[in-house]
Amino acid sequence: MPVRVVETSSPSQVSGTTPGNNTPPPCTLLSVGQGFSGTQNVSSLQKDEAWRVNVQIQGIDHDHGYLCGTMEALNVPMADTPVVTFWEGEIVDTKNYTFFTGKWGATTEDDIKHWTKFQSFSPLLSKVEVDGGKTLDLSNYPFIFMRWKEQYFVNVGTDCGLTIAGFYYVCFSCSDGSINGFYYDPNSSPFQKLELKSTNDGRSGFSFSTYELQ
Amino acid sequence: MPTSAPPPSNYPTRSEDLIGRLNSVLTPYETKLKTLRELKNQIIGNRTKKLAFLKLGAVPSVVSILSSAVAENGGGSNLEFNEPVIIQSAAVIGSFACGLDAGVKAVLDAGAFPLLFGLISHPNEKVVDASARSLKMIYQSKLAPKYDFLVEKNMDFLLSLLNSKNENVTGLGGSIITHSCHTSIEQETLSEAGVIKMLINLLRGSLIQRDASLESLGAIIKENPGVISKFMGPENGRALNVVTELMKDRYPRTRLLACMCLIHIRNASLRYLQDAGIKTKLILILFELIDDPGQVGDEAPFALSSLIAEKEDLQKIAFDSNIVDKLCNHLEKGSFQAKRLQGIFLALADLCSKLEFCRDRFLSLKAFNFLTNVLTHDSPEVRAAACICLKNISRSVKNLSAGHFMNETVITPLVRLLQDTCTSVLIAALGAISNIVVDFTVHKSKFIHCGGVKQLVQLSKSMDSTIRVNAVWALKNLMFLVNSMCKEEILLELSPSMLISLICDPETSVQEQALALVRNLVDGPMDSVEYVFAEEGLLLNAIGRQLQSASKVEVLIQGMYVLSNVASGNELHKEAVMNQLFPPAGSDMQTILIKFLQSTDSRLRTASVWALVNLTLTSPGANIRVMKLQSAGIVCQLKNMVNDPCLDVKLRAKTALGQSMMFGDSSMG
Repeated sequence: MPVRVVETSSPSQVSGTTPGNNTPPPCTLLSVGQGFSGTQNVSSLQKDEAWRVNVQIQGIDHDHGYLCGTMEALNVPMADTPVVTFWEGEIVDTKNYTFFTGKWGATTEDDIKHWTKFQSFSPLLSKVEVDGGKTLDLSNYPFIFMRWKEQYFVNVGTDCGLTIAGFYYVCFSCSDGSINGFYYDPNSSPFQKLELKSTNDGRSGFSFSTYELQ
Repeated sequence: MPTSAPPPSNYPTRSEDLIGRLNSVLTPYETKLKTLRELKNQIIGNRTKKLAFLKLGAVPSVVSILSSAVAENGGGSNLEFNEPVIIQSAAVIGSFACGLDAGVKAVLDAGAFPLLFGLISHPNEKVVDASARSLKMIYQSKLAPKYDFLVEKNMDFLLSLLNSKNENVTGLGGSIITHSCHTSIEQETLSEAGVIKMLINLLRGSLIQRDASLESLGAIIKENPGVISKFMGPENGRALNVVTELMKDRYPRTRLLACMCLIHIRNASLRYLQDAGIKTKLILILFELIDDPGQVGDEAPFALSSLIAEKEDLQKIAFDSNIVDKLCNHLEKGSFQAKRLQGIFLALADLCSKLEFCRDRFLSLKAFNFLTNVLTHDSPEVRAAACICLKNISRSVKNLSAGHFMNETVITPLVRLLQDTCTSVLIAALGAISNIVVDFTVHKSKFIHCGGVKQLVQLSKSMDSTIRVNAVWALKNLMFLVNSMCKEEILLELSPSMLISLICDPETSVQEQALALVRNLVDGPMDSVEYVFAEEGLLLNAIGRQLQSASKVEVLIQGMYVLSNVASGNELHKEAVMNQLFPPAGSDMQTILIKFLQSTDSRLRTASVWALVNLTLTSPGANIRVMKLQSAGIVCQLKNMVNDPCLDVKLRAKTALGQSMMFGDSSMG
């Protein structure tokens, strides 16, 4: 069953807010309506497999370090339709969240092990090892680190043979909108990799849409 | 038993008979006194009887009797009955005014007001009591004349009332303050005159005095930090402690009024009442007052709203005390007076305004069904409160994504409310709809098929700019990520000429929403860009013109995003954007683009630089565009932006520059 993240506050689409002093800046490529597509490799000892994945950002609230969206997995062997899940994310902004997860069965060792797999993380490693990176100034860092946790299946039942028990360590590149991630679940094969690129619906360039909640 | 036959219609009814006796000069004085008592007993607590007697002209009759009795007072032959007649007629007048605006109007029209005031200084204490009580009833109504505190003799009179030994008279003084003190000048005038100290003394008096004092203190301190700091000052002793103690009084109304005073103090400044204990206590006391079956229970949810509105920390404390469940249980208990329903929904709305777990809790209880049912309630205040509650609950991306709101039970009554005659209901419904139509699932079509778009388009032509803005806001959210089929259906109702007039609306906030709507319209599959060329390019021209003339940055941002989105299309689309951004050859108009790229607002710089990224992207016509950008000084401007303080701008500027440089090299070859 999906796990509800208890401590989230209200997410809201806020256009043009200036973030706190040391927090990652808003990036248009990571805004509502933006889509990404690529693959997740689900290799295990038995087989080498990759699913095609589409991700869409539905909500983002920089004040609370929150974002959410859907993930669609195609060509999943056990399912006859694409499987869509809804996920919620934590932005590592040193204000609301640090590099230390502190839940979902991930220890600080697990955290460091996963973050270090991102090349863009290495300059930050020493400070993160001390205190999870609380004192880091990420306001000009061209990468945004997040954790994404799937909350529920949108279009299939929980008996579809798939699990959403784990979560992703995610690194987003502000310059080209590419996303890399590693799935963490103590009961699944380690380091299943997620690789996505920003999509543009067949356009010659980038297009951005908007909504505002009242 | 034989029963008497109903009287034939040409006989006076008993009520008419009674009035006849009051009016007749032939009626002996003693009989008039008896008749007054009889009238009083009939109308007390009986609204129907009051209305019936009002129709028969009872009030002018009674006031006339009072007037004569007052004139005769001290002389004349009816000494024995004179004062009792004054007392009874004053009481009847008070009863007519009690809780009935029609009664108050009749009483004021008949000239009772000055008569009753004249009796406040009567030697007979019972006369004073009756008059003071009746005046208090009148002052409970909005129709009572405003008391002008700024006139010196009025202030002196008020002070004399507050100084009186008679609790009804001091209570009257309190009622006058509660009724008429609204502006900060009035509050300060009362404070300077020493009224606060007098009211604090009355807090230690009788029940009537305590309640009157608490209520009028509330009126004086409300939203006035200056007066509040005087209240909290040393000259007023331990006033705060006295009020805090009254929170635990045995009478519910006193507890409620004490809470409201503390809430006013807390709302004025966060440095007061910071203690978590007092916050929790306030919430728990209000929590328990909601159970009161009477007026206190009706008002308690409003006090709770006032306490927690906009304050996450207090909302969290309230949530931890299970207040969501409590309020929802109240809803399920049964039919309520409209006022209580309104209060409960507004309190729930405040609870769910910021905290996701409050919304989750509400949705998990059956109360959501109750909410949708109440959208068709008779009272406009209840309808509006339900819409506000729905708006706050749907302020949840997670629940919108789960598609909890886009179904007939919710949409059908909401769309109907778009034709509500009451503006506040209309605006509240628009707020709820704005959120619900964001719905990320395929169900937006449900809203369209319910006739929602038709209504929204109609409202976007309203004379009221608030209605226009909210209607266009809802359309913008509806258009977000909507599929092509729905886009077509929306555009059947929302014509391009309508869009143009919205983009050029006299209100800049409407312009902003309309441009954001077009931004969403041209997003999606490539062929969506074609929509902006509707009316033979008039729509795109209107957008271009707004970019030239608008000064509000939010309008410019949305306009640039429209152009940026269009520029992500094919060569013709990109050319069209160039034509909007760059004046025709020979014109000495500078391109607005330079101005936008140099804006102090990073959002406008971002939108503008995205347009450049899209225009300079490798494609057949890109090199010509780059040359034009070069000659307009844009490439130079981009070079200045590679160290922009905003990371997003910096990265896009580098991309656009890199793309431009590629053509620069090849054009030199």
